[in-house]
Amino acid sequence: MKSSKSIYQYIPKIACILFSILFIYAGTSKLLDFQNFKTQLGQSPILTAYAEYVSWGIPSIEFILAGLLLFTKQILLGLYASYALMVMFTAYIIIILNFSDYIPCSCGGVLESLGWTEHLIFNSGFVVLAILSILILKRDSLKPNTISNV
Amino acid sequence: MFRASTFIRLLSIGVLSISVVVVLFLMSEDQVHRNNAFTRRFPHHPISKLYDLDLGYNSYYISGYVDNQLYLGNRTAPLHLLKIDLASQDTTHIKINLNKKNLPFRSAEIKIVSPYFFLLDGTVPAVFRGKIGMWEANLWDERDIYFSKAIPMDSTTLFVKSTSSRTFESILGIVDLDKSSDILFKEDLLEKQIDGVFDVDGIMVVSDDDKFIGYVYYYRNEFMIMNNDLELETRMRTIDTVRTAQISLSTNIKKLKITMNAPPVYINKNAYMTNNLMLIHSDRIGKFEEKVMHNQAAIIDIYDWTKSTYELSFYVYNLNESKLREFEVHDEYFVSLIGNSLSLYKLKPTHFKMRE
Repeated sequence: MKSSKSIYQYIPKIACILFSILFIYAGTSKLLDFQNFKTQLGQSPILTAYAEYVSWGIPSIEFILAGLLLFTKQILLGLYASYALMVMFTAYIIIILNFSDYIPCSCGGVLESLGWTEHLIFNSGFVVLAILSILILKRDSLKPNTISNV
Repeated sequence: MFRASTFIRLLSIGVLSISVVVVLFLMSEDQVHRNNAFTRRFPHHPISKLYDLDLGYNSYYISGYVDNQLYLGNRTAPLHLLKIDLASQDTTHIKINLNKKNLPFRSAEIKIVSPYFFLLDGTVPAVFRGKIGMWEANLWDERDIYFSKAIPMDSTTLFVKSTSSRTFESILGIVDLDKSSDILFKEDLLEKQIDGVFDVDGIMVVSDDDKFIGYVYYYRNEFMIMNNDLELETRMRTIDTVRTAQISLSTNIKKLKITMNAPPVYINKNAYMTNNLMLIHSDRIGKFEEKVMHNQAAIIDIYDWTKSTYELSFYVYNLNESKLREFEVHDEYFVSLIGNSLSLYKLKPTHFKMRE
């Protein structure tokens, strides 16, 4: 019954890998320079008051999500969570760019060298990727044969 | 049907995520600028604007004032002075000559106390003095007194802030440059709350009659007045309610560097003392005040320290979206530097009750 596989079917798998790479990379580089990361967060106009929790929370969530996407079958859940996280990051950037006196960055690694506009495009790309993957997974799950495959 | 619900789910997750960040932002904003246990008095027009003068640069600072002439120093051109006649708005550029130039200057500042001008750099350390009009300054004090900041009180005395060699905390002192032995430091004036350096940071002021000096903490609602022998006259609380500096510090692993974990909450951003009045630029919004004002103007609170009273407040409006950087009061003028400009205001005498 299987129709010829279109490229769309690979998108969720690719998304999982890309998200995992992103999260593991960003999480690790934050932990490697933890003191610095914490200080930067403290200087963020949005997170000043919660820097302590957020500084542990963000890398933890990133690692958990990467694990979820790579090693479990909860891919849909992982994608929803990644989507939520990326939307939050994007909202954070927009607020900082528009409503704040000063602009700190604490993304970790080479991501820090991205300009804010590039950052926005980069994040939006991942948001779109997450949405696309979720929609495709949902569509596929409607087909009886793929359900039995899962 | 199934896909519609997926869309709804994606949409609601998106909206929820955005709201979380927005709520965090709003809460954080409130914590920093709002407190509002205090109420200000805003009488009508204590100052009225005379004019704005574009200076071309935002690196000017106020060096001094003598007979209607305002002198501005420039942080990026340390040997340059700009003289402005406040009545005619005429400007004159002045170049200062030093008799010893090859010193490692890092934070040279020019201060004027008629008939002299001083060029001070506590990191060298070096104190130059010369006469106004001649603009030739000679290295004056050969002693190695390091200071983080110094303001001349009169033609031979400096009010200095330095670091104690015993505790490594900040201390205030007075140096008499004419007498080689006369250095007076007091360790008990600045009250340590956290580390004795960051938490006691603040603004040094000298009253224009040279009789009193003052110190206004950045991070707490307090200032103190000393006489010119460095004896404490009074400590006074401002209308704000923050008694303990709200700063968070961390030392790195090798203990080489202390950093601020979060931007500190400034209670007092800047100050100027004239006679019995202490004027303080506050960064905080009080009760019943419109929040938008914080983005449109700076708030100046006036205290009479001889009576320990809060008198009144007024706004100094932003110019081209730049905020008030520095201000002083001279004769009937309120002189302010905002962005690239000098903004001159006239004082309403009934609101500035000077002691005789």
